[in-house]
Amino acid sequence: MIEKLFIIVQKELLDNLRDYRSWITGLFWALFGPLILGGMIMVLGNTFRDRAEAPLTLPVSGAERAPNLIAFLEQQDIIIEPAPADPEAAVIAGDINVALIIPEEYSEEFSAGETATLQLVLDSTRQSASPDIERTEDALKTYSSYIGVMRLSLRGVSPEVVRVIQIEEVDTATPQSQALIFISMLPYFIIFAIFNGASPVITDATAGERERGSLEPLLINPLPRGWFAMGKMLSAVPFAITNLLITLSGFAAIFRLLPVEDLLGVQIGLDVSALVAIFMICLPIVFLACAIQTLIASFTKTTKEAGTYLPFIGLIPSLPGLALAFLPVKPDLWTMLIPTFGQQILINQFLRSEPILASNIWISSLLTILLAIAVTAIAIKLYEGERIISG
Amino acid sequence: MIQVQGLSKSFGKVKAVQDVSFFAPDGQITGLLGPNGAGKSTTLRMLYTLLKPDSGSAHVDGFDVRQSPLEVQRRIGVLADARGLYSRLTSRENIRYYGRLHGIESEVLEKQIDRLASLLDMQAIMDRKTEGFSTGEKLKVAIARALVHEPKNVLLDEPTNGLDVMSTRAMRQFIVRLREEGKCVLFTSHIMQEVAALCDQIVIISGGEVSAMGSPNDLREQTGQESLEDAFVAVIGSEEGLE
Repeated sequence: MIEKLFIIVQKELLDNLRDYRSWITGLFWALFGPLILGGMIMVLGNTFRDRAEAPLTLPVSGAERAPNLIAFLEQQDIIIEPAPADPEAAVIAGDINVALIIPEEYSEEFSAGETATLQLVLDSTRQSASPDIERTEDALKTYSSYIGVMRLSLRGVSPEVVRVIQIEEVDTATPQSQALIFISMLPYFIIFAIFNGASPVITDATAGERERGSLEPLLINPLPRGWFAMGKMLSAVPFAITNLLITLSGFAAIFRLLPVEDLLGVQIGLDVSALVAIFMICLPIVFLACAIQTLIASFTKTTKEAGTYLPFIGLIPSLPGLALAFLPVKPDLWTMLIPTFGQQILINQFLRSEPILASNIWISSLLTILLAIAVTAIAIKLYEGERIISG
Repeated sequence: MIQVQGLSKSFGKVKAVQDVSFFAPDGQITGLLGPNGAGKSTTLRMLYTLLKPDSGSAHVDGFDVRQSPLEVQRRIGVLADARGLYSRLTSRENIRYYGRLHGIESEVLEKQIDRLASLLDMQAIMDRKTEGFSTGEKLKVAIARALVHEPKNVLLDEPTNGLDVMSTRAMRQFIVRLREEGKCVLFTSHIMQEVAALCDQIVIISGGEVSAMGSPNDLREQTGQESLEDAFVAVIGSEEGLE
């Protein structure tokens, strides 16, 4: 009897392999993650590098009113240039990131020892301008406290008096952990690829079968109905696994081909053993992805309807992975109890080369497999009912 | 051999089939005649195990459709109302899939496929993908795959629907041939002429119920009408939905 299951799988494989347009679209989704991540590393890596290396050019209006300040800024490797006639318009237009305006009263106030006002024109919402803005502000604050200290010293007051506290920052973020924000998005792309590998096949084999009018004659063949549900689910597994392999190879290739070390200042250890481990961790998700989609597609009336649900279904379990990039979650037991979430944390741990509890791997795999079995059982029940014909 | 006893089926409030009983013996053609929506397809669907009857029973070669559906499925060949093919597979692959699901050994299966191909005069389209086939060509593939396991009972739902004159003729000859092979043939139709020309026994269904049953002669006698067509109309009460 079991060989009849393989007959169904075999037929669906042949049928779907001939539908090359669908599975090529599926393959695109597998490459989507590596391409996006590669692009982000390139762009953001370059920004990091530019930020550290490029000298800051600061447009200044009224530079002649504060020769002292200008000399100080130039000492800080800041290149001073005359500001455009309308600095605000230039900032709004994005021609310059920041402009310093030295008002007419400045030299008077400065000489009188009063608090002198300087104006910075900036757009705080523009992310790309923030390094320039921060550097300008830092330089101005340094100048302010430098002059302040001088003035106090002249009056015979110790500068310590106005420095009530000094903040010493102990930043535990290594350059590597900054780069790992990118890496934390990997689980999201991996799970997304698994779901998208399976969905064209499942859509065609379930909702498509009904739409073509081939489901009714198929179900008259002497097999328990549930075998059809199982056969269709299993036939999507090789496609999902292929997508998983392609995605993982894509990530490996990107970390190998791109000068990640130059761009991010860290080396990422996505070696063969880590890839194999991640692949094994994801295998239960493959079955769950196929089972869930078989179930959903079993009660959609048309392939079009299935096509509106399935990408959404793949998004839900992969979203926590996206959140993990910004909200680190500890690998506690409860996280392992949630199928796909546990795996995403485990993948992250692998990428961070953290010690991993074998029991966590077992628990998350077991629960995911159990859920896949439960979902398959529901799909089988659906196939045994009369409504399977009409959807 | 198909035996139907008091079969009923409702969908919500709609009583699709009510208390339908008939007997279709081997070596005979039994026709279910009735207007569109009379309950013919629903009756057939219960016979080929797709729908479960609300009440009553149906037996194929002595096997109950509800208790032993797999035994029934092995003994029937069905041309269902839905007769979709796999358009990316060739005719041969379509037929082979069903043959393998019936557990036929591959050597025997290939011979059987070739036999059906010549019987249905479809050798030319055997190794072409079924995408773009004409209605007649698709029907041939659908029939070949339904008969690939040489079933003793053949159920055909509106087999000549959508066919041109030549294909209809060929289809009718094929049905007669099945009778000559000693099979129990049960088919539905809303075409009076077709039923009159082919059937040994006619079951007239309207409004989900059997309104008359018997050989063409029996029906003429029962209604006192000269022609079979007049007899049908007399039984059903109107010509609506018939051709």
